[in-house]
Amino acid sequence: MQLPEFEYIRPKSLAEGLQALAEHGPDAQIMSGGSDLLINMKFRLDTPKYLVSFNDVAELKAMETLPDGGMQIGAGCTLTQLAGSGELEDKYPALHDAVFSVGSKHVRNAATIGGNICLDTRCWYTNQSEHWRETRDGCFKTDTEECHVIKTAAKCHAINSSDSAPALMVLGATVVLASAKGERELPIVEFYNDDGVDHTVMQPGEFLARVLIPPPTGRSIYAKLAQRDGLDFASGTFAAGIVGSNESPESVCLVMGSVGPAPKVLDKSIEIIMGQGLNDDTIEAAALAARASLGEVTNLFTPSGYKRRLVKALVKDALNELRDKEA
Amino acid sequence: MAKQIITLTVNGDEHELAVAPYQTLLEVLRDELDLIGTKRGCTAGSCGVCTVNGEQGEAVLSCCTLAVDWNGRSVTTVEGVQEGTELHPIQKKFLEHGAVQCGFCTPGLVMSAKALLDVNTSPTERDINEAMAGAICRCTGHIKVKIAIREAAKALREREGAG
Repeated sequence: MQLPEFEYIRPKSLAEGLQALAEHGPDAQIMSGGSDLLINMKFRLDTPKYLVSFNDVAELKAMETLPDGGMQIGAGCTLTQLAGSGELEDKYPALHDAVFSVGSKHVRNAATIGGNICLDTRCWYTNQSEHWRETRDGCFKTDTEECHVIKTAAKCHAINSSDSAPALMVLGATVVLASAKGERELPIVEFYNDDGVDHTVMQPGEFLARVLIPPPTGRSIYAKLAQRDGLDFASGTFAAGIVGSNESPESVCLVMGSVGPAPKVLDKSIEIIMGQGLNDDTIEAAALAARASLGEVTNLFTPSGYKRRLVKALVKDALNELRDKEA
Repeated sequence: MAKQIITLTVNGDEHELAVAPYQTLLEVLRDELDLIGTKRGCTAGSCGVCTVNGEQGEAVLSCCTLAVDWNGRSVTTVEGVQEGTELHPIQKKFLEHGAVQCGFCTPGLVMSAKALLDVNTSPTERDINEAMAGAICRCTGHIKVKIAIREAAKALREREGAG
């Protein structure tokens, strides 16, 4: 497969790049590692007129420890860089394990944290070759108001497969969106829309410049199930964080990923553990609540029954492991 | 679409090339420089047969890399692995242990293994699995490939010791 034609813009500074994004608006697409975008372009799922790469902007490739003990990670840091950081592994195991689980070493060498957070949603109907799609009807993601995976759907159910997203949500991270007009910072829990087509709140002209993670306050864990350990997008992911003891936690955050257009905060499961602590009974109840929160439909390659069983097992195993991590 | 002049060093040789922004590194290596050792497989980053090594020796999927992004930089392809007239220990061990069947994936496997052994000559089983997860063989399997990599690591360690 060959890439479609495009004009390539490689700014020397962040300001220059933001200016290019402002100028070309929706005609411009941002590229970082290209490990996902270039493939989508080969499949003609994305055919931007202008491709803007921030790879020459050194400030985006830095990871820094903040004075309060938190961390700031530039959008252009590669996943290999993150996975190789001892500080990240010590402070935020959930994020470390999440980025380490992405693709293969080859992919992580190119892929960046900014790109992983903004990763486009995927769907088994649409993410196919152009020829495959030509023989079938369009969908929300291409050109019509229809979903062929979930027939009655009123919106696109393509799946958000970002591995870093659930982990960053559990860690209370914020993202900084920069544009020619200035910057805005928002919690990553507010970054995603539950819609496979318009899956983030980012506007044309905006660029996710960096991620801020508050100082670590408790334990965190990340779990992923995929067909193969290497390369495959997840069938389901789960990140969990707990502050305080198993018996009486001060705060709990549980997030499911790769099961819908946005990572899902498991409110009911959180309530159960906040109310009664982390023990055999509450882990079972939290896993059942996670399963119940998924609804009947699925956009996975597997039937919804499989997804429901998978989620229960994933949540249960990960919470058991998190419980055992208590110092 | 306007082409851009880039300088690309491949296996130590500097080339000045006019490339379009949408040409991948793989296309330039194979179609412009005739270095057809680097294979064109899935062209979607899943199979690893197009693996070359970047400036730090890292594994790079040349099918998912824009050639213009490689302006002023250097890459090593499978044609640049042998040491003078001698094969590299990785290549020797692949031959010795029959880690090749049809051979199509071999350049990608060799370059992926080299990315690992260049920085780590005492890899654990996990290190090898991690480094090779992105390079897939669909006929001979991965058992002999892993034996060859372990043996190549041993040969490289012995050489380090002797040096």
